[in-house]
Amino acid sequence: MNEIRKEDERVKGTQEYVLLDLSHSPETGFDQFAQVVKRTFGKELFVGLWVTLREMGSTLFGKGKHTVSYPLEKMPIAPRYRAIHDMLRLLESGNYRCIGCGLCEKICISNCIAMDTKYDENQRKEVSEYTINFGRCIFCGYCAEVCPELAIVHGGRYENASEQRASFSLFEDMLKPIDMLTQQKEFDGFGAVSPNADENIKKTPLAY
Amino acid sequence: MDPLLIGTVLKSIIVLSIVSALAGFGTYIERKVLAFMQRRLGPTHVGPFGLLQIAADGIKLFTKEDIIPSNANKLIFSVAPAIAAATAFIAISAVPLFHTFEFTVPVINQLVIVPSVIADINIGILFVLGMMAAGLYAPLLAGMAQANKWGIIGSSRTAVQFLSYEVVTGLSVMAPIMLVGSLSLIDFNNAQADGVGSWIVWQQPVAFVLFLIAGFAETNRTPFDLLEHEAEVVSGYATEYSGLRWGMFFIGEYANMITISFLLAIIFCGGYSDIGFVAGWLAMLLKVAFFFFLMLWIRAAWPHVRPDQLMWLCWKVLMPIAVINIVITGLVVMLG
Amino acid sequence: MFELIAFYTISVLTIGLFLVTVLSKNVLYAMTALAAGMSLISGYFFMLGADFLGVVQLIVYVGAVMALYAFGMMFFDVTRDIKEKNTNGAVVFIIAGSVAVMLTMIFSMPLGINSIMTLVQPEVNATNPEAVGLVLFTKYLVPFEVAAVMLLVAMIGGIILAGKKMDDSLTSTEDDKIIDTEGL
Ligand code: SF4
Ligand code: SF4
Repeated sequence: MNEIRKEDERVKGTQEYVLLDLSHSPETGFDQFAQVVKRTFGKELFVGLWVTLREMGSTLFGKGKHTVSYPLEKMPIAPRYRAIHDMLRLLESGNYRCIGCGLCEKICISNCIAMDTKYDENQRKEVSEYTINFGRCIFCGYCAEVCPELAIVHGGRYENASEQRASFSLFEDMLKPIDMLTQQKEFDGFGAVSPNADENIKKTPLAY
Repeated sequence: MDPLLIGTVLKSIIVLSIVSALAGFGTYIERKVLAFMQRRLGPTHVGPFGLLQIAADGIKLFTKEDIIPSNANKLIFSVAPAIAAATAFIAISAVPLFHTFEFTVPVINQLVIVPSVIADINIGILFVLGMMAAGLYAPLLAGMAQANKWGIIGSSRTAVQFLSYEVVTGLSVMAPIMLVGSLSLIDFNNAQADGVGSWIVWQQPVAFVLFLIAGFAETNRTPFDLLEHEAEVVSGYATEYSGLRWGMFFIGEYANMITISFLLAIIFCGGYSDIGFVAGWLAMLLKVAFFFFLMLWIRAAWPHVRPDQLMWLCWKVLMPIAVINIVITGLVVMLG
Repeated sequence: MFELIAFYTISVLTIGLFLVTVLSKNVLYAMTALAAGMSLISGYFFMLGADFLGVVQLIVYVGAVMALYAFGMMFFDVTRDIKEKNTNGAVVFIIAGSVAVMLTMIFSMPLGINSIMTLVQPEVNATNPEAVGLVLFTKYLVPFEVAAVMLLVAMIGGIILAGKKMDDSLTSTEDDKIIDTEGL
């Protein structure tokens, strides 16, 4: 019996819920006065002052600031984030992985992938044209999901502002540069957690 | 030439330039302090620690297009910002800032006496409060002249806030006046010359708190910043303003903050008399800096009140307390 | 010299501003001119060395005219001119004329009679506010107290007039406590 209860507790965990004291608005004039006196001479106002001062102290001399100075430093983005596509290469040969099967072109629901293939001198299929029109792409991720070779994946470039829509769209632009082949990362898959997931876990503020 | 006249002119020029520069610097300090309290950075990019941000803001305000809405009352619309800045500076002219001191200009051998207060009128405290009250005409006129409903709401809030808190300011400062027996700010300073123990704040803590609260209301600072609260009335009286005219409102507001800080320091906290080994001018600067910081600090910590709470607080809480405080002080002065 | 310049400047400005107050059709101009004129009057007190009265003039009228602004805001579109309704010319003439005659008589009175004398000698050693206080609390104590009682009555009256709905809460969550705006 006891065992079971313990088991139960382990499964559920112990929750320390605190009910917020949502008291009614004061009704009589005296209640209002009492509330003001309580709020003025009670701790509330001074707790607020203390908290801000403490934060100022720890910002200046302790933990530092929360601000990410954005263009200079960037937050790591989650692998499941669907940004501008990357075309990956084979690690051994450095050749691009795409075999020109055309599945991504077929599945693309906004019809923005355009590709053309031909046979090269070794009678292997070669991708001669490959563009994604990012003016139309909705970043749904179907192309990455359908690709049998894990060739097209979503990369981490999310700063999409450019002077022309055509930017980013060529195969060569999306292809991992050959000299950065060693840094090529495999796509973790759609359920993957972000690299800084542990830091992001916070206690839910149930009671203030 | 009259050494006092030279000193006064010199002081007026210096105070005018320093206070208007400080008003700009105040915005920088405010942004930095608020940023640190909220764990942000504040301005960082222009100059070392973002110090030149003031200059950048100044350039921006100067070169911005100065728009006068076509339905607005043009004359009043243009005059209102000038009232804000002018009254703030006139108010400072009657506040004693530091000791009177004299020096001789080396080359022409001219004695110069720099007075502690530019316009030495023996009812300084009333004059300063009256001038700051007149300063509230700026938001009032601005809001009414601009033919914008947010402006009208802003200016009606000005009228409400002003008419209520003027009462509290006057009544709260009455008790210290009765203790000192003079309306001259210099007398106030001299009455507290014997160190920290003689500060009026120890005898009149209630009046101090009341004056502090009313001072926040008069300078339109956070718990009472109803006049231009973005979340409620867009920008209140300043909705239609841009460029330099808008900047003048802010110079006025920061100059008023500095004046209130000086007043708090002089009336309640010993003024510019020396504390032990700390020189008077340094003590004064420290006190003023503390009160200025307090205003920023409270802005970071506390939410602001609703208009009906503002009125309720003024008429049902602060005013009765002020009156009771005066009666008690009067009894003590009479019997003691 | 300075005083003369100041006096003439201020008088011209005051008269001009009050003319604007009377003649302007725009509420905003009229009230602003009134406020500015009232503040300028304190200049005369300062010139006469009556600092205290000057500041009192400033504080009192700054507040009083602001209350006028509140009325202006409630009743008019302050950025537009007002179309005045012309009342009977004869009535206007009689009232304005008699007021003008009366004012002229009052103000020309001192010119004809040379028996003007100070009723209350100002205390020589007292500072400005003290002198006012001495006169107010000795010679004119009764009028002062009467005025105080009148103001008190006005204040209580104001509270009673304004306070009828004071107990209704604007923020209470209970239904019956919420003000019924339909029925107002
Ligand atoms: S993400 Fe979706 S819309 Fe974009 S290219 Fe791939 S399949 Fe097409
Ligand atoms: S699905 Fe993959 S392999 Fe097939 S064409 Fe598209 S990118 Fe190339």
